[in-house]
Amino acid sequence: MSGPAAVECRGVCKIFNQGKPNQVDALIDVDLTVEAGEFVSLIGPSGCGKSTLLRVIADLLPPSGGSIAVNGKTARQARLDFDYGMAFQQAGLFEWRKVIKNIELPMELRGWDRSKRSARSREMLELVKLPEFGDNYPWELSGGMQQRIAIARALAVDPPLLLMDEPFGALDEMTREHMQAELTRICASTHKTVVFVTHSIPEAVYLSNRVVVMSPRPGRITTVINVDLGERSEDTREDGEFFKKITEVREALRGGELGATARGIEDR
Amino acid sequence: MFAALWEAYKAFGRAVDDHVFGWRLPAHTDDASMPHISTILGSFSKAEVRGRPGTVGGAVLSGSWFTLRLAVTGLIVGFVVGMALAIIMCRFTLVRRAWLPYVVLSQTVPLIALAPLIVGWGNRLKIGSVHWQPWMSVTGMSAYLAFFPIAVGALRGLQSPKEQSLELMDSYAASWTQTLLKLRLPAAVPYLLPAVKLGAAAAVVGAIVAELSAGVSGGVGRLILDYFQKATGDPARVFTAFIGAAVLGLVVAAGVNGLELVLTRHRPKAAL
Repeated sequence: MSGPAAVECRGVCKIFNQGKPNQVDALIDVDLTVEAGEFVSLIGPSGCGKSTLLRVIADLLPPSGGSIAVNGKTARQARLDFDYGMAFQQAGLFEWRKVIKNIELPMELRGWDRSKRSARSREMLELVKLPEFGDNYPWELSGGMQQRIAIARALAVDPPLLLMDEPFGALDEMTREHMQAELTRICASTHKTVVFVTHSIPEAVYLSNRVVVMSPRPGRITTVINVDLGERSEDTREDGEFFKKITEVREALRGGELGATARGIEDR
Repeated sequence: MFAALWEAYKAFGRAVDDHVFGWRLPAHTDDASMPHISTILGSFSKAEVRGRPGTVGGAVLSGSWFTLRLAVTGLIVGFVVGMALAIIMCRFTLVRRAWLPYVVLSQTVPLIALAPLIVGWGNRLKIGSVHWQPWMSVTGMSAYLAFFPIAVGALRGLQSPKEQSLELMDSYAASWTQTLLKLRLPAAVPYLLPAVKLGAAAAVVGAIVAELSAGVSGGVGRLILDYFQKATGDPARVFTAFIGAAVLGLVVAAGVNGLELVLTRHRPKAAL
């Protein structure tokens, strides 16, 4: 592998309300390396710290301990350098801006001039296959279309890394599968590294090179499952290997929860 | 509609001599208390001062125009002050905690009590080579009433963006000012519009009341007072000034509504 890892977490901890009665150990001793070009999913039950881990990598939350490197820099420097783009569960487009102006938002903040912005945002609309919707307002678009615009916005200044926090969580099943296929296509054509938080086991397996299984109380990584399904297509969803991996992830998730329950009993 | 009610009530009161089953009606209906609508409208074309050119209508119009300018200036000053307060309170939590009670407190002091005081200070005030004018006191009091709803509404609006939107701006390493301009201010617009409507109404009331207590002449507030003093001779004339003040309020409200239409033409209807 040439160059530094896209994300390198060493012994990362995140404790909320430290020392207070309502202390929460959101993350304990997390080690995670994501190589450039990889697609890694974080999966686990609510409260396992997967969203917290994503925010610590994004430098939106400071870690309580451990070290994080993004593209060989500190997380803070990476954020200042626009090294990653982020997408959330809600598309979160600004309703007072036209679609095209939403995509241009990060470019404006980077100080790109008008012609460069306009050329790039048209290109992004092509990429997410919504070229005719640039002059619409976000609320005129469906949920899936809004989420595609949010992805276009995340990719706007061409960051090498995409951080996605359950971006398809609010979509219906049909739209969701379509969006997964779109994301696979977009990532293949742009060679992005992706860290993807999800609740859905099939989604994680379909999209990822590696599925990182986490468990709560305290939030930690329990298992990492490599997925090698080759190039994804609609047939992948019918593939025997696909189902085998889903079972594997499901068992890993159950194991984690059983472990947590068992420890709960010991504590009493 | 209103005129019909007015005349019906008046006719009823006259017929029963203001008494129903021994109870007096809430308002007298004789011509001194409730002149006929036609008499009031007729008053507009009467001479303001007997034997000289210039009608009552003209006086009410110019008085309303005078007060309108004071009220609009007051609203603009109030808007600037209110926005500035809201932005500072949004930026610094400590300032918000410290100031917000005083912002609320400022409105519990009755304007009537404050007005002579401000005028008194104003008379002795001199900024550079500019002497404080009495109309500035009126504008000041108008602004004093207008800033409050604007400050509270703007603060609410500036704090309205979701956590996720703020995180998005953070992820772009946007500065606080950039977040203010690109996220918080546009997000505050739907909250600001009703606040400005309240502020506009308050600015008009403030200007009229301040004129009365500051003794500034030329406005519709002063006209109401003048006409009241002449009410025994010409009771209809007071109502012409009332109509002037009401129309003044409508004009300001219409102005704000126009502004709203322009600012919200590209917003989803449900969000407003």
